[in-house]
Amino acid sequence: MIRYALTRLALLLLGLVVASVLIFLTLRVLPGDVAQMIAGVGSTPEQVAAIRTRLGLDQPLFLQYLDWMAGVARGDLGTSLLTGAPVATELAQKAQVTVPLGILAMVIALVFSVPLGVASALRRGRADGTLITVGAQTLAAVPVVWAGMMLVVVFAVWLGWLPAQGFPRAGWTDPWAAWRALLLPAVTIGIVEGAMLLRFVRSATLQAVGQDYVRTAAAKGLTRTQALVRHGLPNVGLSVITVLGLQVAGIIVGAVVIEQLFSLPGIGRMLVTDVGQRDLPKVQGELLVLTGFVLVVGFLVDLFHRVVDPRQREAE
Amino acid sequence: MLRRSTTLAAAVLMAGALALTACSASPSPAPSTSAAADPDASVAVRLVAEPGNLDIRETAGAALDQLLIDNVYQGLVSRTPEQDIVPALASDYEVSPDGLTYTFTLREGVVFHDGQPLTPQDVVWSLTQVRDTPSYRDSDRLAGVTGIAVDGQDIVLTLAEPDSSLLWNLTGRAGLILKEGDTIDRKTAANGTGPFTLSSWKQGDSVTLQRFEQYWGDPAGAAEVVFAYIPENQAALNAALAGEVDVVTGFDANLAEQIEANGDFTVEVGASTDKGTLAMNASEGPLADVQVRQAIRQAIDHDAIVEAIGAGQTQYGPIPELDPGYEDLSDVAPFDPDAARELLEEAGADDLELTLTIPSFYGTTVSQILVSNLHDVGVTLKVDAVEFSSWLNDVYINKDFDLSFVLHTEARDFENWANPDYYFGYDNAEVQELFAQSLAATDEAEAAELLAEAARIVSEDHVADWLYNGASVVAVGASISGMPTVNVNERLNLAELTKSEG
Repeated sequence: MIRYALTRLALLLLGLVVASVLIFLTLRVLPGDVAQMIAGVGSTPEQVAAIRTRLGLDQPLFLQYLDWMAGVARGDLGTSLLTGAPVATELAQKAQVTVPLGILAMVIALVFSVPLGVASALRRGRADGTLITVGAQTLAAVPVVWAGMMLVVVFAVWLGWLPAQGFPRAGWTDPWAAWRALLLPAVTIGIVEGAMLLRFVRSATLQAVGQDYVRTAAAKGLTRTQALVRHGLPNVGLSVITVLGLQVAGIIVGAVVIEQLFSLPGIGRMLVTDVGQRDLPKVQGELLVLTGFVLVVGFLVDLFHRVVDPRQREAE
Repeated sequence: MLRRSTTLAAAVLMAGALALTACSASPSPAPSTSAAADPDASVAVRLVAEPGNLDIRETAGAALDQLLIDNVYQGLVSRTPEQDIVPALASDYEVSPDGLTYTFTLREGVVFHDGQPLTPQDVVWSLTQVRDTPSYRDSDRLAGVTGIAVDGQDIVLTLAEPDSSLLWNLTGRAGLILKEGDTIDRKTAANGTGPFTLSSWKQGDSVTLQRFEQYWGDPAGAAEVVFAYIPENQAALNAALAGEVDVVTGFDANLAEQIEANGDFTVEVGASTDKGTLAMNASEGPLADVQVRQAIRQAIDHDAIVEAIGAGQTQYGPIPELDPGYEDLSDVAPFDPDAARELLEEAGADDLELTLTIPSFYGTTVSQILVSNLHDVGVTLKVDAVEFSSWLNDVYINKDFDLSFVLHTEARDFENWANPDYYFGYDNAEVQELFAQSLAATDEAEAAELLAEAARIVSEDHVADWLYNGASVVAVGASISGMPTVNVNERLNLAELTKSEG
């Protein structure tokens, strides 16, 4: 187990290094740079060159990369070329919006996908079961942006129950207002992610229903549903946790789109702006943290599986 | 299997993040309300484009001018919405008849936001810094100022040659007065003399200004002004309808009915110097032929463009109506698809294929009309919608384009047509000479006359097309008074903005 964990940790670190190289190089492919953005229209090549030199953008790429990595090794993620603000500070500030948004979206996704997924599996072949399945497939295919637009039109513009967009400038000092601002965007992500999750829960449940131990339990006098709940669902739960780990990335990507749509001052919107400004040191710091987060979640899910699933341990 | 998927998820996330492109865009006081103004009011104003940082000295972009000039930083002189030049930190100024000496009398009792007094030396230092630091914005606009000296409470500028644009330039970035030896970080903070202090900047969200109680002039009408940055027009509309913003600038005129529906907002349309500029790269290929360029201009239905945008007017030359040197040039290239086809035939340009490079935040309205208009005369137009940073790199810096569209907002920017190094790539000695004469003129009317003459030549050479002269479209809340509505993209002096109680 320890050996497995260490191997897995080494892989995680390797993944991060590979990701850092990829992030660094892909960003350098983008046309233009931050010096041009600062100097803007009406500037001379000399002005751009002076700003570039001051910002260290004329250094060889290899050195720029090493610089970045040396900083990361010291725990310094880098600073914005435009404002001089540390990336870590900016991330922490924007996380106040994105993290609650992601958690709320995940809760919403779970709340409707798990019961409905199990139900649609148990009602397979019946009209209501089919309806759930078809509904889920339809929802999973809905573009997030369109779903968000529709929700805004109904709940903010027509009914006026919830804010259309934006986040209270006072932030979390008024928790009620903050949650209200996050509800529509979270529902938007939750519906789309939840619909995918639902299909997964359904197939995991169907698999569990067909397992020998559930059938044995049913033979011992439990109803099919009782047998499933008592013996099958723990396994379904395991699978759901795995998929949730994978969905973290989906939720982050969803947040990027949704924060644009709802004008939420979160990490996603910041990324879009920073890429547009070509503030590359800031973007690469942000992307490395997000990638690291996704990789760590995967690492934890793997370890968790190892601990709770006896079959994996026996296989060693 | 799972390991692979987490890596895959990470890869998807990165790909998603990297595939992103950024978004941005573009606006006589509104009628007053009868209710009493609330001195403690906080007014939220929607703006489109957020600046990358707040460095007024080095960072380009009208977003910074809008936010900081007149509100936070001031110059010796300022400009009104009517585009007149008026005293600001100078109580008075005088220009010698030969146009070589400018004498400004500095106001007494002016303090900076940090409490330090404004001295004539601060003025000398500020102007000298701009003139002598090439990386500063508009540094070259003071290049002709040979002497910057203090005489008691007066500041005397001496020129080698007359410069009819100097006063105007001093109302812009070149003329802003900062405190000598100030150690604030201009990228994130500001220390000016204006009616508002910069109280906070929440990146990606808003900038908040607060009334400066020690301001030398009439105190600002509102205790607090919040600039809420909302790039999307639909989102801005939603925010207005939900009561989250009091004023919407850079509004889409086509949404006017929706925002006015329940009587909480009035849409005001003011003139502007926004020029929808279709630059044509005449350095090579079919566009090097003036007949082809003329054909493209005559193929474009400018009235249809103005109608689609919902505001503004047509413009057939480089100078908009608000600027000196404007004249109606609609006779130079009127809409005439038949004439366009003939011109193309004469030029032997059949099956012409061109690419339009356009920053994606301008949307698709303009490019769709262009594609269809040019298709009607047998020209295939491919639209390449790019991030602004890509446009800067490919078009502005590398001059690698066929056609380019950008909304040039700056007032009195004819100089770009007299600058062969500018991305327009227009090198015409006669135009450059006329422009130089206009600068050297000591009489305003004469200067404008010379500009008009140069502008006509630029239009007759068909080096570009001007698709429309935009308007400032501003939706003003019912409780709001004193909101400027002319050329809001350039300047947004909010000292008189008030919100009534209730």
